Amino acid sequence: MTTQERAPTPRTAASGTLHVRRAGASGTLVGAAGLVVLVVFAFMPVIVSEADTTLLVNFFVLLTMAVMWNLLAGYAGMVSIGQQAFVGLGGYGVLVLAMNGFDPVAAIPVAAVVAALIAVPVSVLLFRLGGGYFAIATWVVADTAQIVVSSITSLGGGTGHPVPGLSSMSPHTFAETTYWAALAVVSVSLGIAYGLLRSPLGLLMAAVRDDEVSARSAGARVMTTRRIVYVVAALGCGAAGAILAVSQLQVQPSSIFSVQWAAEMIFVSMIGGMGTLEGPILGTVLFFVLQQNLAQDGAWYLIIFGAVAVLVAIWTPRGLWGAIRQRTGIELFPVGYRLHGGARGLVTQAQLLDGGSAAGSNGPGSRAGAVWRRLRS
Amino acid sequence: MALLELEEVTKRYGQLLVTDRVSLRVDEGALVGMVGPNGAGKTTLFGIISGDARPEGGRVSFDGVTVNRLDPAARCRMGIGRTYQVPRPFGGMTVFENILMATQQGGRLRGRESRLAAASVLGRTGLEGLANRPAGTLGLLGRKRLEVARALATRPRLLLLDEVAGGLTDPEVAELMDVVRSIRSEGVAIVWIEHVVRALIDTVDRLVCLASGRLVADGAPAVVLSDPSVREVYLGTDVAADPGART
Ligand SMILES: Nc1ncnc2c1ncn2[C@@H]1O[C@H](COP(=O)(O)OP(=O)(O)OP(=O)(O)O)[C@@H](O)[C@H]1O
Ligand SMILES: [Mg+2]
Repeated sequence: MTTQERAPTPRTAASGTLHVRRAGASGTLVGAAGLVVLVVFAFMPVIVSEADTTLLVNFFVLLTMAVMWNLLAGYAGMVSIGQQAFVGLGGYGVLVLAMNGFDPVAAIPVAAVVAALIAVPVSVLLFRLGGGYFAIATWVVADTAQIVVSSITSLGGGTGHPVPGLSSMSPHTFAETTYWAALAVVSVSLGIAYGLLRSPLGLLMAAVRDDEVSARSAGARVMTTRRIVYVVAALGCGAAGAILAVSQLQVQPSSIFSVQWAAEMIFVSMIGGMGTLEGPILGTVLFFVLQQNLAQDGAWYLIIFGAVAVLVAIWTPRGLWGAIRQRTGIELFPVGYRLHGGARGLVTQAQLLDGGSAAGSNGPGSRAGAVWRRLRS
Repeated sequence: MALLELEEVTKRYGQLLVTDRVSLRVDEGALVGMVGPNGAGKTTLFGIISGDARPEGGRVSFDGVTVNRLDPAARCRMGIGRTYQVPRPFGGMTVFENILMATQQGGRLRGRESRLAAASVLGRTGLEGLANRPAGTLGLLGRKRLEVARALATRPRLLLLDEVAGGLTDPEVAELMDVVRSIRSEGVAIVWIEHVVRALIDTVDRLVCLASGRLVADGAPAVVLSDPSVREVYLGTDVAADPGART
């Protein structure tokens, strides 16, 4: 997972080499650790009780949503309070497909893609609005989607509808299947988010977030960037909703389109830290720990969690992970670049690339210039 | 054919006429200096060329294409690179990442090629020692260099430099001159706004003077500087002789 560039060893003695490396801890190590974690999680249903598997499914669902919200708001600067629109559409996507004889589990990715496709025209409307209007409009979209879906009587109207095709499974098989499906969704979501952030798009998002004006005049297609992120977030939230439909065996408009999903994804992202991949993970873990310990006191955990979110926002605006990273420099998912080798290395690399045709020119600057010309053509 | 052509371009901010029927041609590979007092509308004119500012009237064409309706990103991808007078770095990213972003977006390079191009730009603009520094922590000199580097990284055919030498010491200005000359030697056309007139006349082959939104002179540096209207603009100061001729 480490991207390293190294010039072939030059024949000259005073050889510098250029290394462009992704920042932070060794990427290979992170990859290996991620694989171990994935394998451990894959065996969880064998180890833990069915109740715990269900809890983990909910954990994966919220984590997926948080990762997506963090991409939207933390990276692309789009504060949406209406992602539950796509959670609901994903859930209903599974229902509609299952009612038409599709296997509900196989319907999960299809429903997610449908949610993403719906996000394309929606983004055209939303992107005409700026700032606060955007946020409110996302909520309006979610409400509209809920109202439209509730009015379709064949889907059970406002009371919802059970998802057919799941009763044939034994409870044990059902629990395992749901768990693995949720694990797959969260893994793919994290993988997509990490891949996006390491791709040119990640750099582009960071630049747009830092200075939209100068990003544009450096060639950034801001709208296209936002649209891609918005559609990816809809894909992820759609998948989360699809998992919910399967794990809850039914969909009900007021719960699957509930604004509570938006509140939870915002909470956990803010507490964990926006603008990092680690943040939502940490935030989701905290959320579940609090919920498990306080759930018996009714809705108190939500109030306490809200208070924690406010305190974190005041105390450390970049979230808990932001504070941890600032103190320790730890990055579990390195997305930046580090240059090693210094000036000498750069020039040597440039000369090598140029195939020696710059030999007669004067000074390192013009050697680099020669490469430049080569790349320009 | 001219690379850049402005025809009767007009721009207002409210009542204020900031660009008044400006017509200007810049040929491929030309190095044009632009001078004028504070508030003359120089930066605004750059904005009109790069797409940051929309003119109310007139035509802007680049490489034979009318670009009035194109956004800054599209114009950058066509080959218009610009710097900002007040630097606008991507503060949360490293210097290398700032440049890499530009090679990937405006420069339309990918993967290894984009990284090598970014490294090359880093080297020529003297930023290699600062490659891993967050751009937000740079001092003025570093920021100015980064402006040039990022614009250069978009692989422009026309480079708009807005007071990149302002606030620099003489040796730093000399170093910057070398960078500009080397860019120019590759056939990149440059329009360079600078208050340090002496820095300009040593380097440019043509000088234009803007005052109150109008183009008052356009020609060889010596001719422009002896033009009565230019002398009037500069309130009688001997612009050519005074190295620090700021208005
Ligand atoms: N966005 C804006 N809104 C309103 N007025 C503006 C705006 N930008 C510039 N102006 C005004 O337009 C005029 C020209 O400004 P501009 O920055 O183009 O001048 P300039 O020649 O670059 O000056 P300087 O040498 O100080 O950089 C000034 O009077 C300025 O106050
Ligand atoms: Mg200016």
